[in-house]
Amino acid sequence: MKLSAYPAFTHSAFQSRLAYRNQVWANAFGDLVNVFARIAIWSAAYAGMTVVDGVTLPEMVTYAVLVGTVLRWDHARLLHEVGDAVRTGDVAVYLLKPLHYPFAILASHVGHYAFSFVTVTIPVVLIVGFTAGLMPPASLFHAALFPVFWLLSWLVMFCIATLCGLLAFWLLTAFSLEWFLMGIMLLFSGAVVPMWFLPPALATLFSYLPFAWVHYYPAAVYLGKLDPTSTWLHLGMGLGWLALLAAAVAWLWSRARHRIIVQGG
Amino acid sequence: MQRPLVVIPHLVRMYVRTRFEYPGATMLGWLSQIVAYGGIYTAIALIVTRFGNLGGWIWPEMALLLSFHLLAYSLGASFSFTQFRDIEEKVRLGTFDAVLVKPIGAWTYLVFSGINIGYAGHVLLALGLMAWSLPQVGADWTPLTVLFFLATLVSSAAMVCATMTMIGATALVWVKSSHLYSIFFGFWELARYPLQIFPFPLQILMLTFVPLGFLAYVPVAVALGKPVALLGSAAPLAALAIGPLWVLIAMAHWHYCLRNYQGAGG
Amino acid sequence: MAPIISAVGVGKTFRQLKRQAGFGGALRGLVSRDYTEIRAVEGIAFSIEPGEAVGYLGPNGAGKSTMIKMMTGILTPSAGTLSVLGREPHSNRILNARDIGVVFGQRSQLWWDLPVRDSFELNRHIYDIPDSRFADNLAYLTQMLDMGSYIGRPVRQLSLGQRMRAEIAMALLHDPKILFLDEPTIGLDVVAKDAVRRFLAEINRERGTTIILTTHDLVDIEQICPRLIMVDDGKLLFDGELRHLRATLGSRRRLTLEFATDPGPLTLKTATLAADEGAAKHYLLENEAVSLIDVLNEVGPAHGLKDIKLEEPDIEEVIRTFYLNKPKLAGSAP
Repeated sequence: MKLSAYPAFTHSAFQSRLAYRNQVWANAFGDLVNVFARIAIWSAAYAGMTVVDGVTLPEMVTYAVLVGTVLRWDHARLLHEVGDAVRTGDVAVYLLKPLHYPFAILASHVGHYAFSFVTVTIPVVLIVGFTAGLMPPASLFHAALFPVFWLLSWLVMFCIATLCGLLAFWLLTAFSLEWFLMGIMLLFSGAVVPMWFLPPALATLFSYLPFAWVHYYPAAVYLGKLDPTSTWLHLGMGLGWLALLAAAVAWLWSRARHRIIVQGG
Repeated sequence: MQRPLVVIPHLVRMYVRTRFEYPGATMLGWLSQIVAYGGIYTAIALIVTRFGNLGGWIWPEMALLLSFHLLAYSLGASFSFTQFRDIEEKVRLGTFDAVLVKPIGAWTYLVFSGINIGYAGHVLLALGLMAWSLPQVGADWTPLTVLFFLATLVSSAAMVCATMTMIGATALVWVKSSHLYSIFFGFWELARYPLQIFPFPLQILMLTFVPLGFLAYVPVAVALGKPVALLGSAAPLAALAIGPLWVLIAMAHWHYCLRNYQGAGG
Repeated sequence: MAPIISAVGVGKTFRQLKRQAGFGGALRGLVSRDYTEIRAVEGIAFSIEPGEAVGYLGPNGAGKSTMIKMMTGILTPSAGTLSVLGREPHSNRILNARDIGVVFGQRSQLWWDLPVRDSFELNRHIYDIPDSRFADNLAYLTQMLDMGSYIGRPVRQLSLGQRMRAEIAMALLHDPKILFLDEPTIGLDVVAKDAVRRFLAEINRERGTTIILTTHDLVDIEQICPRLIMVDDGKLLFDGELRHLRATLGSRRRLTLEFATDPGPLTLKTATLAADEGAAKHYLLENEAVSLIDVLNEVGPAHGLKDIKLEEPDIEEVIRTFYLNKPKLAGSAP
């Protein structure tokens, strides 16, 4: 296996996105509208109150921006790419190359993400920062740990979406899986409502599931809602979930590969 | 002119039979969509109940808004979304040419040969939520208001169908138009909330160029007797007029694009 | 009789996006775009009588499909006038569609997941075909195209040859006056090609259906179409019978003379020497009017001529040489 082959996937994924000019503008515009809408919804909910459950409106606005931009991953693209590749048998092409398919997909989606980051995320964060105002990280410690949680968030999302994509091999449809995943992420990850506004029972349940590491924990760390001890603890738990999910991807992929080789897809 | 009317049931039957060649995938699709909408609705319910109201709308009122949004959308989209989203692909592969050599209107053929029964899950969820919320909101129903409510539902659905038609038609000239759907769905998501909570320019936009404010907010606010942002007393009439108006615009746009169709060679 | 199709000065211009090279070019493409005008069809004129079978030949990108799309009402010509069955096809698209049948070789019109019969049934409703007519046509086509064994099977399970026969049958169910076929034999194996060709020739002969087909396979034209229209770069190069093509393209016959003993250098007025092997000499006949008798008369009995061979050039080769020398010849096209 040649390690140098993987950056090529990253590069070509990035390049391929440049061809769709209108899609770039539409995405940037869509995300901008979406973030302003999230801000509007929280402003309307607070309706003049300053602190709810120990959280201020500016904090909630920052939470909404983080979740709506920096932590916004295009899991549908990944899920469909993996799903279509295994369902149609196109994935067999990768078996002929000296590569591991999950790593190739990882490399190519680093490219996709880098593209969105440059063309959409940075401009949107700048515009929102100058108009609505963003809070800085709670402390130097939290500022230092946020990028680590951010990376962890991306990797956890990558594993979850890849798992769902691989399932398409048996269920023969990536379509339903995407909808299932969308529903679960909306509720369980804190993408819309952070854990602190949830009824205690739900909050406890959701905060132990891996989805919380995609949206809730990174944003909560940024805002200083977790003290240093708790931050390290949750980083450890997140890494544990990541290891578990990565193992699940490896196992499911080896099953799928085995079936492709034995049955010809 | 009555020919299409005779053909339509046959077209619909063909598509439904195609879908039931794969019954498992169809059922799973319905279920997954109920889960997805269930997820976002639960999240909204949690916010609204935690804070008491959203822009003056309490949860049962929000539930009516959400159910109207989903019902009007899925009725309109079953006649249009997948059909017009796939035009791009049809143009690229040249299968759109095959539609144009049939002695039947291209719009009629596309729409009815693809009536999407995949929206059954949406409709089921929307009707359930609506049935739950209607008795709890304090609207006084008279035959006239019921009629108005149903008429605005049809008007909203027609507006969705007309918008999808316009986006799809654009692909005939531009070859690509899928990015316009991303923009559409961006605003479509906002249409789930009371319009007055959004910044002023967004309110204007959603009542003019991207009239998704009419999809659910305007008709439901009127039915609940709430003041309507920007429109005021013109709201009931506007809610009824938006569908027919948008249909007329879409028809003109569709015919323009069909005349300027370049095929995959363009 | 009035022509069933007539084209006068028909042209079609497309606008195509210019892609800029490299990473910088792609970035620039995010904000600005350039277009080039492509003339897919230019100044085409012909007239086709009812009952004719015409082959429309040309290399890829010659404007064959574009012309078919204009005749079937899919595209509007950007120049000239086009009339099909006395109507302008694009503005009368639906009326036109009732009277024509169209088969696209690479794009199926059948419903992929449903039995062939269901697609036929749908067409019965779309084209409003009377029941008895439909039954007769279906029986005739099923028998002629040997579809009995698979008419009840979903299209996705058919071989390409079976599918193509079904496509052709579907296009003929409503008794079209004109049948357009865009590359009907592309990708088919030899047996399937032969079946399709024989059927099309038969339908043209027996039912008088006018046939227009595009192809780049000359055998299609030899077996189905007495008349050939050849295009390249959107322009008309040749319109006439296949056997006249050679003369028009000015390609030369090969003459070989064999002698008992080497007669030494021998120049002729009627033929040009190409190669001299001593006892065997190869000539090229430039002039179509020169016959074997003329050559024999000129050579005379003196040299001990043993054998003589006159070769007609292979038509494929004629066309190949023609395209290779295109820049020189384009100006002299008819």
